[in-house]
Amino acid sequence: MRRLFFPAAAAVAVAACIVGLGVARYGAAPERPVNPEDGLVANGAYSSDYFNLSYRLPDGWAAGLAGPAPSQSGYYVLGTWVANDDLGGTVLVAAQDMFFAEKPADDVGAIAADFRQVISSVDGMTIDREPAAVRIGKRPGHRVDFSGVGLHRAMFALEIRCHVVTFNLTTRDPDLLAQLARSLDDLDEARKTLGLSVPDCVRDYAVADNIVHRVEPADAGAKTAAIPVRIVVGQDGSVKQVHVIRATAAQRRNIEEALRQWKFKPYMRQGRAVDIETGVMIKFKQTDM
Amino acid sequence: MTTMNFTRARSLASLAAILLGSAAWCGAAQAQNAAPANAAAANTATAQNRSPTTPSRGAPVDPGVRGGALGAGGALPGLSDVEVQYFNASKDVFQEVDAGPDGLGPRFNLDSCSGCHFQPTIGGTSPATNPQVAVATLLGAKNTLPSFITATGPVREARFVRNPDGSPDGGVHDLFVITGRSDAPGCNIAQPNFAAEVARNNVIFRIPTPVFGLGLVESVSDGALEANLAANAQQKRSLGISGRFNRNGNDSTIARFGWKAQNKSLLLFAGEAYNVEMGITNELFQNERESDPACQFKFTPNDGTPLVAGDTASPSANFQSDIGLFAAFMRLSAPPAPATSAAAPVAQASATTTAVASVATDVSSVLPSAAGSPANAASSATSGVSVARGGQVFSNIGCQACHTKSLTTAQSRLTGQSNVAIQPFSDFAVHDMGAGLADGVSQGTANGNEFRTAPLWGVGQRIFFLHDGRTKDLNEAIQQHASRGSEANTVINNYNLLPQGDKQSLVNFLRSL
Repeated sequence: MRRLFFPAAAAVAVAACIVGLGVARYGAAPERPVNPEDGLVANGAYSSDYFNLSYRLPDGWAAGLAGPAPSQSGYYVLGTWVANDDLGGTVLVAAQDMFFAEKPADDVGAIAADFRQVISSVDGMTIDREPAAVRIGKRPGHRVDFSGVGLHRAMFALEIRCHVVTFNLTTRDPDLLAQLARSLDDLDEARKTLGLSVPDCVRDYAVADNIVHRVEPADAGAKTAAIPVRIVVGQDGSVKQVHVIRATAAQRRNIEEALRQWKFKPYMRQGRAVDIETGVMIKFKQTDM
Repeated sequence: MTTMNFTRARSLASLAAILLGSAAWCGAAQAQNAAPANAAAANTATAQNRSPTTPSRGAPVDPGVRGGALGAGGALPGLSDVEVQYFNASKDVFQEVDAGPDGLGPRFNLDSCSGCHFQPTIGGTSPATNPQVAVATLLGAKNTLPSFITATGPVREARFVRNPDGSPDGGVHDLFVITGRSDAPGCNIAQPNFAAEVARNNVIFRIPTPVFGLGLVESVSDGALEANLAANAQQKRSLGISGRFNRNGNDSTIARFGWKAQNKSLLLFAGEAYNVEMGITNELFQNERESDPACQFKFTPNDGTPLVAGDTASPSANFQSDIGLFAAFMRLSAPPAPATSAAAPVAQASATTTAVASVATDVSSVLPSAAGSPANAASSATSGVSVARGGQVFSNIGCQACHTKSLTTAQSRLTGQSNVAIQPFSDFAVHDMGAGLADGVSQGTANGNEFRTAPLWGVGQRIFFLHDGRTKDLNEAIQQHASRGSEANTVINNYNLLPQGDKQSLVNFLRSL
């Protein structure tokens, strides 16, 4: 018993340590939740805890200009890289929240097909590689290649946490494009050492049938803007995290304050309540007409 | 009716830009409403803000304002005789010069609509010679010309970013006063201290937007604009572009006029400009912005609906206010006609759509070579092949993702204007244009970084570019689209990857519009 107890205690201690770390980084009430826009470049690699992505920059490339703030439709420019002049090329990494896209789509394959359709209608554009399922690192995704006016391009798309994450490659040289595409084989997991799960993402959970208690945010500024918000609903139905994707500071404050008072029916998976993340579009009521 | 922004080297702002630029990968974490204090710094479009995709293969030569037929300024083709009479009468009023007894001022930027809207003809944008220089001292006025107004520079209005107490301002501060004019005896108000505001980096500028073809824009339904924004969304996503509409606060419909799409309708556009730019109150803007009683020389509102018929050739115009006529002029004017190497059909009808008629001009006759430019640029500038290639480049590198080539009008009350295909080269959405262009001024739901996609029809005949007229060079205007936080960065990166010939073709294409 005694001999068995020590390893068991050690295992428990290690597990507690791992869970503790996990809670600190991704747990119920972290001081600063991790959001899609919080990726970083350090030591020549891009890393996103939210998307659990790690991508090492190829040699000869440098960070480009930062993109715009997250959009009203939940679109993020996660980063850009630019090749030196001798190489000539750019990489844009972006993400679209599938809860808030103007043109809703449920799977990446359909999005890649739609992209192909739009691109092929551009005057002078050639589709060099039809949309097809590929592995991007260890993950399933889709790839489309196209070219026009001497620029060779590829779009790689994969779904992570109900976002379509795309790697958009542009070069003057098809060989460089191939080299860049190969660099995506090394796409890795940022959180692999922790191996913790993230909440399921569930579309359209914030509907009347599932909301037990709802508080409207206080008015703040323009009433015409619909404001996209991602929330994490805990096992007990409380709102554990609020990520207001795009809003003024006053709107953001009022929305966070209101949403933290919402109460949901717990989301059940296989008979057990689990944490989930879902989206809600907040529209301030018209009161001044 | 006007607007702009000003670029100036400021060492402190440059340092801030370097520091901020180093966090490029942290990307999207900008606050939505950029604080104007930051915007003043952001106003400095430094090299550090610019795209590191160097335009290393040589800059194209802007051939300059194209010659040939004006292709603008007339009435929409297909209007009825009554509508054409109405247009002609409204065009006359658009050119009227107002004075003290008409209600001019007490504070104003110019004394007529057409003075600002004159390039390439009445209804256009800033002319080569700035009429604000002459009006500053007209009729004995003693106005000091602000440093940012020059004889060969663009017509400008000035906005202050912040109030003295640090709160957001954003409003227009008129350049001139009627003090000293022979038609304004007893008025004694002073101009704003522009030198002091410039010294504290608190002034941004806007230039006049052309008004050609705007009735057709007014006729495009909100649904069509929304569908257009969504139609190529996947392509936009591959370019870093999103965009949204500036919606009217009361009815949530899409506003689409002005540099930030802040004006809902042409009538509102006209009423606001009459009040703000000329100081003439009207039925939409009834109250004087400067209420000193010693400076009022006409009842208010200065402009109103006449109850006794006027004496124009248009029965409709005889009972119309000035702002109603200004709106009519914009509403009934034809869109600018592009130059083309082929004889364009006047009307190309299909079952549901009719192409807008336009007088085509041979492209090779209207693309002049820039003085002193390299021979190869001159030859390509006169090449219809180059223009056609430029159109392809425009689409391929992603310009058309925002500068949408074609939209279709809905049912219109004007004769022959229903279901018409138009080529404004704009999606009429606002986009984040980054620190280099940001002016820190919020209008409606557009924040300090956002601007409406400028319609490019007629761009070939414009002299000054961007909201503040900061450049006369199209290549420079293209490059200015890229800076920290801009939705256009990837498109400009694509542009900079092009060989010199394709860049030149793109510029030639733009000059053909």
